[in-house]
Amino acid sequence: MGKERVLIANRGEIALRIIQACKDLGLDYVVLYTKEDEFSLHVRIAQQEESGFKKAYRIANYKDPNEIFSVADEAGCTSIHPGYGFFSENYVFARRATLRNRPLTFIGPNWEVIRDLGSKINTKRLAKGLKVPVIPGSDGPIYNELEAEEVAEELFFLQKEKGIHHPSILVKASAGGGGMGIEEVSHLDAFRRTYRRIQNYAKRQFGDEGVLIEQCLIDYQHLEVQLLCSSHGEVVHFGTRNCTIQSTGRQKRVEVAPGFDPAVCEYPFDARAVLDRIVKYSVRLAKHVGYDNIGTWEWIVSRDGSPYLMEVNARIQVENEISACISRLNGSNEPLSLIRDQIRVALGDRLGFSQKDISFEGTSIEMRIVAEDTKRGFAPWCGTITRFDYPDECWARLYSHVPRDIPYKIPTEYDPNFALAIIWGQDTQQAKERARQFQKGTVIEGKGAKDEDIVTNMDYLYDRIDDVLQF
Amino acid sequence: MRIDQIHMADSGRLLSQLADRISYLIDIKGNSEYGNIGSLLGQIQRLRQSLFEIKESDLFEEIDRIEDRISFLEDRVAEKLSPAEIVNIVRSPQRFTLMDILENVYDSYTELGGEGECNIDPAIVVARATISRRVKNRLYSHQVMVIGHEKGQGEEYRNGGCARPWGNNKALKYMRVAETEGIPIHFYIFTPGSYPIEDYPGAAQQIARNLYVMAKLKVPMVSFISEGGSGGAEAIGASGLRLMGSRGYYSVISPEGAAAIEGKIREGEKLPRKLLEHCAAQLKITAEDNLRLGTIDRIIGEPPLGARRDDFPFFRRLRYEMLRATDELVLKTKNFRAFRAYALKRQAEEGKDVPEDFDLFIGWSLTDLERERLLEFRFKKYIELGKGYFIENKNILTQGIRKTKVFASKTYYDIRYGLLRPHHRNVQKVIEEVSGEGSVFLRKVTEPVRAAYDFVFPQPERPSKVIRSGEPERKSIFAEEWDPYVSPLANEDCTVTCPNAAKYGCLDLWVPDLYGEFCGVCPNCGHHFPLEYQWYLENLFDKNSVREFNAHIASCNPLGFQGYSARLQKDIKHTGRNSSIITFEAEVWGIRLVVAMLFSNFRGGTVGVAEGEKFVRACDVASTTRRPLLAYIHSTGGIRIHEGTLGVVQMPKCTFGVREYNDNGGLYIVVYDNNSYAGPVASFLGCSLYQFGIRSSRIGFAGPRVIRETTGQDVPTDYHSAKNALKRGHIQGIWDRREFKKNLYDALMTLGGPNLYYK
Repeated sequence: MGKERVLIANRGEIALRIIQACKDLGLDYVVLYTKEDEFSLHVRIAQQEESGFKKAYRIANYKDPNEIFSVADEAGCTSIHPGYGFFSENYVFARRATLRNRPLTFIGPNWEVIRDLGSKINTKRLAKGLKVPVIPGSDGPIYNELEAEEVAEELFFLQKEKGIHHPSILVKASAGGGGMGIEEVSHLDAFRRTYRRIQNYAKRQFGDEGVLIEQCLIDYQHLEVQLLCSSHGEVVHFGTRNCTIQSTGRQKRVEVAPGFDPAVCEYPFDARAVLDRIVKYSVRLAKHVGYDNIGTWEWIVSRDGSPYLMEVNARIQVENEISACISRLNGSNEPLSLIRDQIRVALGDRLGFSQKDISFEGTSIEMRIVAEDTKRGFAPWCGTITRFDYPDECWARLYSHVPRDIPYKIPTEYDPNFALAIIWGQDTQQAKERARQFQKGTVIEGKGAKDEDIVTNMDYLYDRIDDVLQF
Repeated sequence: MRIDQIHMADSGRLLSQLADRISYLIDIKGNSEYGNIGSLLGQIQRLRQSLFEIKESDLFEEIDRIEDRISFLEDRVAEKLSPAEIVNIVRSPQRFTLMDILENVYDSYTELGGEGECNIDPAIVVARATISRRVKNRLYSHQVMVIGHEKGQGEEYRNGGCARPWGNNKALKYMRVAETEGIPIHFYIFTPGSYPIEDYPGAAQQIARNLYVMAKLKVPMVSFISEGGSGGAEAIGASGLRLMGSRGYYSVISPEGAAAIEGKIREGEKLPRKLLEHCAAQLKITAEDNLRLGTIDRIIGEPPLGARRDDFPFFRRLRYEMLRATDELVLKTKNFRAFRAYALKRQAEEGKDVPEDFDLFIGWSLTDLERERLLEFRFKKYIELGKGYFIENKNILTQGIRKTKVFASKTYYDIRYGLLRPHHRNVQKVIEEVSGEGSVFLRKVTEPVRAAYDFVFPQPERPSKVIRSGEPERKSIFAEEWDPYVSPLANEDCTVTCPNAAKYGCLDLWVPDLYGEFCGVCPNCGHHFPLEYQWYLENLFDKNSVREFNAHIASCNPLGFQGYSARLQKDIKHTGRNSSIITFEAEVWGIRLVVAMLFSNFRGGTVGVAEGEKFVRACDVASTTRRPLLAYIHSTGGIRIHEGTLGVVQMPKCTFGVREYNDNGGLYIVVYDNNSYAGPVASFLGCSLYQFGIRSSRIGFAGPRVIRETTGQDVPTDYHSAKNALKRGHIQGIWDRREFKKNLYDALMTLGGPNLYYK
C-alpha cells in the first residue's frame, strides 16, 4: 500500500483547510471543482503545486456520487473527505464508499453511526434511553388525531407546572425539514385545526402524514459540544461553543467558544454546572453509539438552565476552529487542527492524548462574512468581489477561498458565505475588542451586475458582537 | 333431391348450392388442393357460363357427377376432422349465426340495445324472445332473454363477433333486466375473443364485472357455445348449464395465438401450418374433449360437417335442447324431490331423438327459496370445476386430517365470531349503558364537594389518558427493527441508469443502494425497478408471521400437452414451489389476513387448475376466519394455455369464490405489481371492489403485441401504465412500494365491514 491519497469532495474554505491538513500530515490529495469554481483558490493551489499526478478534476456537479467515485477511481484515491454540507451526513454515500468493491476510507464517522444519529427522531429515542434530556414532546411521528391531542395536552400541562406563563407547542411534519411545515400553537383549543393543516400539508408535500409535537422554547441559548473520538473507543471533548446569534432561517453568523463565560456575563443559573452537564451527556451518548470520529452535539439551554439535546452533527463543522483556538494540548501554544486529527483518526490512528492533556485558555469568536443584505431578510447578494483586504494580526486568522489578486465572482449556485474570521483573546472582553478592531480594518469592495456596490453583513456582525454570550 | 326430379329452371340454383358446398370444403381444409376441389369449382364455373348451350341431359349428368364427387369428399373429410379443421368450420361464413338462431329457434323476438349497425356494440345482440313448446297438442310459450355474439356475414361493423367493453356492458345491463323480470337467459357464444381495448369500461374490467354479477344472478341461465374464445366467451358464459355444438370449439386462446407463443414466432413472421395444427390438437378444443374435462355439460349433435345457415333439423334440435336444459335448471330447484327426479328422468330418456312434443309443461318462474337453491347449485358446479386435474396428497390419512382441521376451524370461528361476538357486543353495550347512568348519578353527588375543593386548592388538572377500544395499536413506521430483507440483486457493485433519466435528470443509482435502502425505487422520479417476490414476503408482513398453507397442491399436465411436463418440473425445481400462487396467513401490524400471491418465476405467474384451486381455498379460509383477503399480484401472464379450457374455467371458478367471500362480509383487496394481464385481471382480480397498483406497474387485458395484431393499431407505450389504469377507473389508487405496508394497513383499517374479525 502506497501513500494515502485523499479525495476532497467539497469546495470553498473547507477544501482549503483540508488541503492544509493533508499537507501537514504528508498525504496526497485530489480536489474536485465545477465550472463555477474554476477560479476558486482551492483549485488554483492544487493546480499550481508540483507533483507527479493530476490533482484537480473537473466534474459537472458536486452532488453526483457517481461522478465523485469515478474520479476517485481514476485518481487512485484511498480515502474521501466530504467536508461539511453535500455528502458529509449522507450515510448512503458513506456506506457506498465503505462497501464498494474498491473501498475508500470515509473520513467521518462510520455509516451506521451517521444513519443512527442522522434522524432527529432516532437520536431523541436513543437519548431518552440514556436519560439524556431532550425537548419534551412526542417520541415519534403521530398519525392519530386523538393521540396527538393527548400529547399536546400533556405538554401544555407540563409547561404550566413549570410556571411558564405563555406555554406553546410546535407542530411539525416529521418528514419535513429546513423550517417547512412547522407551526406554533399557543392554545389547546387551536390545536386540532393546526394539527389537521400540518397533517394535510405533510401528506401533500412529503407523502407521509406523520406529525411531531414538541414544546416550543422561546428564550434560549444554542450551545454545542465538540467531541473527537477514535475507533479505539477514546473520547475527548474540546469544550463548548455558543452559536445563539443566527440569521433568519437558522443560519449561524457569530460563534463563540466557550459556551458561557460567567466571569463576564450574568446568568440566571449556574453556567459552569450546565456546561459540565452537557459535556457529560454528550460523552455518554457518544460512547453508547460507538462514535468514532469528529462530531458536534447541539444543545438548547433554556432560561431556567435546563439543557435539551437537539441533534448531533456527525461531521466536521464550520466553526470547529474556535474550539481548537481555545484548546491547549499539554499547555503548549502549538495551534491545534481538528481536521488534521479527524483525518488521522479516520485512517485508524489513536488520538495520542487524553482529556486531561487538554486545557482551555481565552475566548475565541468566529464571524462568518457573507455577501447578504441583512436588512432585507438576509437576501444573498450576487456579483464580483474586486478587493478583499484584512489586517494581518497574530491573534486573527481568516479563511477564505476568495483569491486576493484577481476579481472573484460569487457563484450563485452555492451559499454566499465567502470568509471566516477567527479572533482569539485572553478573555471575552479582549476578544470582543479585537473583533471590532479586525472588522474596522477589513475592506471589501465589489460590483454587482448593475454596477451597484457590494452588500455584506459586516455592519450586522459589528452590531451583534455586543450580544455575544449574553442571555 | 334426385336429379331426375329437377327441372331446368332449378339448375342455376343447384349449381350455386354445389359451389357453396365446395367453398365450404375449401374453408374447412384451408386450401383448394385437397382432392382437387379447385378443379371442381372451375367445372361449375364453366357449366354456369354455358348453361344454355349444352344439352339438358348432359348438364344433369355432369351435375350428378360433380355432386357424387363432392359427397364423396365430404364423407372423407367428415371421417377424420382434425381440431384445426373444426376451427375452420366454426369460422366459415356459412356457419349459422345468432340471427339465424333467433329466426329459427325462437318464435318472435325484439332486439334490444340497438339493431344492426345502429347499436351500442353490433357484435353483441340482445333480444327479448319467446320460445314455445307443444305439450299434448297445446302450445305454450316462454319468455326468455337471448344474449349472444353476432358475427354477421362478414360485415365490418360486427367486428367478427369480438365484443367491445361496452358490448359486454350492454349484455350485463340486460342480464340485470332479465333478473328483474325473472325470466331465464339463453346465451349464445360465437366469439373468437374479446376486443382488447382498454377504453372505458375496460375489456378486462367489464368481463370481470360480468362474471361477478353472473355468480349471483337469480335466474336460470343456459349457454350454448359454438366458438368459445377465452375471455370473450366467459363474459357471457358463466351459466348454470353449458351446451356446446358438436362441431364447435372452446379454447383458452386461438390456435394461432398458442402457436405464436409455443413456437416463439416473432411479430410479422408467418405461422407454419404444421405448428398450428399441432397446437390446435394439443389444446383439446373440441366438444368431446371439453365434455370429458367437464368444462361443458352437454353436446348438441350437429351434422358431420357442422350446421349451416339453412340446417333446419339442427335448429329444431337446438330449440329442444335449450328448452330441456332450462327445464333441468328449474326442476333441480323444485321442492318435490320425487317429481324432480321423475321429470328429469323422463327428459333424459327423450334425449336421443327430438320428440314432437313434451310430456308436461314446466313453468320457469321461481320462488325465493328456489332462487337460493339455484345459486347454490351454480356455485357448487363452478367450485368443483377442474377438481382432479391437479396433484394433491391422495393419502387417506392426511386427507382425513385436513378435513377434520377444516371442520374444526370452521366450527371454532363460527362459534367465536358468529355466536359469541354479537353476544359479547350486546353485553358490553348493556354494561356501558349502566355504568354511564351510574357515573351521571354519582357526579351529581360529588360535584359540589369537588367544586369547593378546587376553589380552595386550585391545581392544574393533569390530563387523563384516553383508552380507545376496538383498534389495534398503531405503530410508527420508524419504530421498525432495522434489519429488513435485502434483495440478492443488491450484491453487485455497479450502477444502473433510471429509465426516466432523460426526462427527470435522475442520477445513476448504485445497485446496493437501489435494492437495499431505496427498495428498488429511484429516489428522484419514483420509478420502481422490479423486485423479486420474496422481498414482499419478508418485508411487507410482520416478522415470522407468514404461515403458508396448501403448499402441497401442485400443477400437473391434464391435457398431456407435449413438453409442458418437463417445463413444469424445471420450474418446480427452480423455484422450489409447486404452483405459481402462494397462499398464506400473515399479519400487518397485528391485523391477521389471508394472502394469495401470484409470482412470476413459475411459468410467468400464469393461472392453471392448481392455482385456481388454491385461490378458492384461500377465499374459503378467509371466509371462515373472518379475515381480510389480499391478492398481491407480483406478475401474471394470464391463464396458462397448456391447461386449455380447464384453465379458462378457473376464471368463473375463482370469481365465484370471491363473490361468495364478499357476500359473507369480507374485504378483498387486490394489489397489482409489475405486469398483470389477461384472464386473471378479467376475472377474480378485476372484480374486486378495491384494486390498487404499485407505481410503474402495468395492468391490462392484452399485451401491446396482441392489441397490435388483433386491432391493427399501435398503442402508446404507457397504454397499460398504472396511471392510465387509474384514469380509466380500473384501479382505486397508486401505491408507493416503500409505503406499501402503511397504505395496506390504512386500507385494512378504513375499508371493510363489521364482519371482519378486528372490526
